[in-house]
Amino acid sequence: MSLLMTKNLSKHFGGVSAVDDVSFAVEEGQILGLIGPNGSGKTTVLNMLSGFLQPDAGEVVFAEENVTRLTTVELARRGLLRMFQMTRVFERISTLDNMLVAGMAMGLTEKETGERAQVLIEELAMTHVQYLDAGQLSGGQRKLLEFGMCFIKPPRIALLDEPFAAVHPVMREAMANFIRRRHAMGQTFVLVSHDMPIVVELCQRSVCMNAGKVIAVGPTRSVLESTPVIEAYLGSSSHV
Amino acid sequence: MSTPRNLWVNRLRTDFRAALGLLAVMACVPFFVSSPYSLGIVIVSMYFAMLAMGWNLLAGFTGQFSLAPAAFAMLGAYTTGLLDYHWQAPLAIGLPAAVLGTALVGWALGRLILRLRGPYLALTTLSFAEIARVVISNSHEFTRGDQGLNVPTLMQSRVGYYYLFLAVLALMLVGLYLLMRSKVGRFWLAIRDDSIGAETRGIDVVRYKTLAFGLSCAICGFAGALYGTFSQLVSPELGLLLQTGLVISMVVIGGIGTLTGPILGALLVYLSSEWLREIGGIQLIVFSALVIIFARFFRTGLWGLMTHWRPRPKSAADAAKESA
Repeated sequence: MSLLMTKNLSKHFGGVSAVDDVSFAVEEGQILGLIGPNGSGKTTVLNMLSGFLQPDAGEVVFAEENVTRLTTVELARRGLLRMFQMTRVFERISTLDNMLVAGMAMGLTEKETGERAQVLIEELAMTHVQYLDAGQLSGGQRKLLEFGMCFIKPPRIALLDEPFAAVHPVMREAMANFIRRRHAMGQTFVLVSHDMPIVVELCQRSVCMNAGKVIAVGPTRSVLESTPVIEAYLGSSSHV
Repeated sequence: MSTPRNLWVNRLRTDFRAALGLLAVMACVPFFVSSPYSLGIVIVSMYFAMLAMGWNLLAGFTGQFSLAPAAFAMLGAYTTGLLDYHWQAPLAIGLPAAVLGTALVGWALGRLILRLRGPYLALTTLSFAEIARVVISNSHEFTRGDQGLNVPTLMQSRVGYYYLFLAVLALMLVGLYLLMRSKVGRFWLAIRDDSIGAETRGIDVVRYKTLAFGLSCAICGFAGALYGTFSQLVSPELGLLLQTGLVISMVVIGGIGTLTGPILGALLVYLSSEWLREIGGIQLIVFSALVIIFARFFRTGLWGLMTHWRPRPKSAADAAKESA
């Protein structure tokens, strides 16, 4: 049984079909790439998976439970956590306090959270900024902080929305390393990214969307080489 | 600031100690000031400090901008007054009823405006405040309208009232400190900074926002009820928008999102307001100008300025440089 499944998920905004009959599955311990050109519906799918949007039709099944109508908070407490493309950190409190909030929100005690936070801060090489307000961090540091907040109590599945967008190559590598280490420990991810080399390297399988529909599913390399995917990215005459 | 001093618990502890110090200084005032009029002015400033703390809990710590603190003080005062006027209920019932009543109304209003932000939230609370004031003002048979209601007093001693207000203020301060030190306080800060981010991390935003609204209204309601027993008269004027403006000015000038700021701001604004009244009633102009200056140049208020200029302990690197 897959850890996370979407079954015929659909979402319309007015007359626009943002997501149309989307089905895919994520296995435990897998990194699934969710790719597609801009406006293909990837973020709308993530919004439905994380409870920010309710689908018009279809189901989301997480750990054998139908979670389609659950709220973001209920999903987070079940271990389905999401990171945003635009980071969402608490700007007027310190980096360490951000992690403490995240841990306590997941039911950890202050002491336990503090200990875990120190380990994560060291792992993410953020010791020198741990007392700095999150609002003073660089874009890349904020993304690393969001990783730390997300993993203060490791989720069952982490949904990552464009974690490598607009990030310095050094930070990008730090994030990729973090994902590699966690994946080696059995962590499951859904990764939305336009960074194809890293998608190829990290994701065993990928789902490609275009205009709200799934156009290819399978091993990442074969998905990227399939004609509908090449056409979606480069236009219909590209393979001629 | 990138030292452990910037951790929330450490910032809060420093802030709390300063606020306690301020209250300790205030506890000495009756030893040097015997005039009932002067003591009365400080008592009223403590009433405003309570309202400022209540509003700061909502706006400064949770990020919900309400325009109804004075309205809730009026509702608290009227709860006590009406219970006495119609049913001769003693203050032992009237005062807790004011807390409970305003907490419930605040909780209900909080649920109603949960998804509103910025100007929409401000306008809704303003509308509620005006509706409450106008209803009380026009319900002559039940509330005696603009004539106001007489409220029994708790004691005759002005000094006794002074220490009662001070003790209540101290209790509110300790309660708020403990709350802000706990996970509830941290969740409020998270909601203030990014409510969607807080929800994503698993914080029940609806629950914590409503809790803040109910608690803030209860603080204002109790302050209003206590003030009613001190002045022995409650009227719809307690809920005027001007009073809310004064409360907001106090918090902005003192330091929003801090424990010391609202108390410091309330004392400074109200005491200087009395002083300015004597030299020509220019207090509103002065405070409006001060609010503009603080909002533009000193967003952290007086408390922020004081902590910014506080001498910092030497770092290990500085000490090494000096010894070399």
